[in-house]
Amino acid sequence: MNYFTMTYPFLIFLGGSTKLLYLSIKEFFKGKVEKDLVIEQVYQVGIKSLPVVLVTTGFIGMVMALQFGIGLAKFGGKLYIPKIISLSIVRELGPVFASIMISARVGSGMTSEIGSMRVTEQIDAIRALGASPIAKIVLPRVLGCFIALPVLTAFANTIGILGGLLVGSNDLGLDPNYYFQKVLSTINVADYMSGFMKCFFFSFLVSVPACYFGLNVKGGTKGVGIATTKTVVTSCIAILIGDYFLTKLFWVIEKWL
Amino acid sequence: MALIEIKNFKKSFQGHDVHKDINLSIFSGECLGIIGGSGVGKSVLLKSLIGLIKPDDGQVLFKNQDITKLNEDELVEVRKKIAYVFQNGALFDSLSVYENLAYPLKEHTMMTEQDIYQKIYKTLDEFGVLNAINKYPAELSGGMQKRVGLARSIIMDPEVILYDEPTAGLDPYNTKIIQETIIKLKNKNVTSIFVTHDMPSAFAVCDRIAFLNQGVVAAVSDVKEITNNNDNEISAFAKGLRP
Ligand SMILES: Nc1ncnc2c1ncn2[C@@H]1O[C@H](COP(=O)(O)OP(=O)(O)O)[C@@H](O)[C@H]1O
Ligand SMILES: [Mg+2]
Repeated sequence: MNYFTMTYPFLIFLGGSTKLLYLSIKEFFKGKVEKDLVIEQVYQVGIKSLPVVLVTTGFIGMVMALQFGIGLAKFGGKLYIPKIISLSIVRELGPVFASIMISARVGSGMTSEIGSMRVTEQIDAIRALGASPIAKIVLPRVLGCFIALPVLTAFANTIGILGGLLVGSNDLGLDPNYYFQKVLSTINVADYMSGFMKCFFFSFLVSVPACYFGLNVKGGTKGVGIATTKTVVTSCIAILIGDYFLTKLFWVIEKWL
Repeated sequence: MALIEIKNFKKSFQGHDVHKDINLSIFSGECLGIIGGSGVGKSVLLKSLIGLIKPDDGQVLFKNQDITKLNEDELVEVRKKIAYVFQNGALFDSLSVYENLAYPLKEHTMMTEQDIYQKIYKTLDEFGVLNAINKYPAELSGGMQKRVGLARSIIMDPEVILYDEPTAGLDPYNTKIIQETIIKLKNKNVTSIFVTHDMPSAFAVCDRIAFLNQGVVAAVSDVKEITNNNDNEISAFAKGLRP
């Protein structure tokens, strides 16, 4: 195993998924958007994932409140809890956790569905019938994620902050009104947007690998399982690495503004 | 003049030469059988005829146009004229039988919903699967799936139909229906290429048979010749005397 054989599959993936994104964008500008298929995907990604996203981000807010409550109480810093929690959720945890949950719940499902279609020749059948798998399969999923993920993130942010508020008032004895006022006075548009804008990028990091690995399944049904795992691992790593660079980018932009 | 001409066709996968040098002509209105052992590359060859797979080298001429040079958009016109019948139907399992048949019509025609319904009704009735119209593929037997797949392939009235083992794994009744359909379409002057292992079906529907072996066309001859003269490669394959 040398460096070349280790990085080669990664380069193939990078090239293949970039091409897939390029083809989808091309198809989009050719006006080949099938409204019904997009709506179906928005429903699958958005509505159906809402409970999962709400539960995870709600508990993240609650756990953070507890942890900071214990930690900061020692220094008399309990009053900073609303500020810390709302900032971390809105700037980081809301968008990142919503995207990771969507990758786990939706990205994996997309890969196994597309992979099964590949294995049973349904993808070939789309082409043989003179239609385009990009227009029929990839583009609706890319758009579905692009539309639904920001909406889910907005919900995630809200619920995360409310989770913090719940624990803050119940367990830490903070006045809910004070908490609420503090959140509103802390978060400004730049804070909110620097987190929120990320999820538009993350939506591609979920949908494109999911479609890529699905379309490139090899070796029958066993290949579908392998591809599904690859999708979730790749998306989650890409989201976290992408998060670092986007944070850095927005940091530069915020300073510059 | 040949309708489809395959010239010096080469294809390998991961260093394994599946096709070394295939040369074959298909004439308008005939039914050409393609036989050969499992894994000899019959499906790969058939898929190349509508550009689903690109050969490494060589040409596939359809009406003198080399389709191996066409891109995915340009291939749409070819695919409207040449239909492909997949081995197991390849029905879209998220769509009902009706929606499966409506798929090509909605993609390529401006037909109204009512016209589409009438066409699908008539086609399914012809294939004896009208009772499946609102069912999903998973609810159908293998034989019915193949018949619905065949119905979906021919609903655009293609000039050429490529059959990938349409009778494999079917009971005698379904086999007979498929055979009769192929003969009926052939009588409407549709050109057919029939990939199969099923020698009785090949003898029943084909005009000529090509035998693929070790990456080349090992033999091509008229069905009458093969059945009259038992001493040839294709008869030997049919009798199971050679792989
Ligand atoms: N997409 C592919 N990737 C790698 N190998 C393939 C692919 N498609 C076909 N092959 C190989 O090509 C050979 C011929 O396959 P195929 O055309 O399906 O055979 P058959 O004559 O049974 O239809 C097989 O050895 C198969 O493993
Ligand atoms: Mg085959």
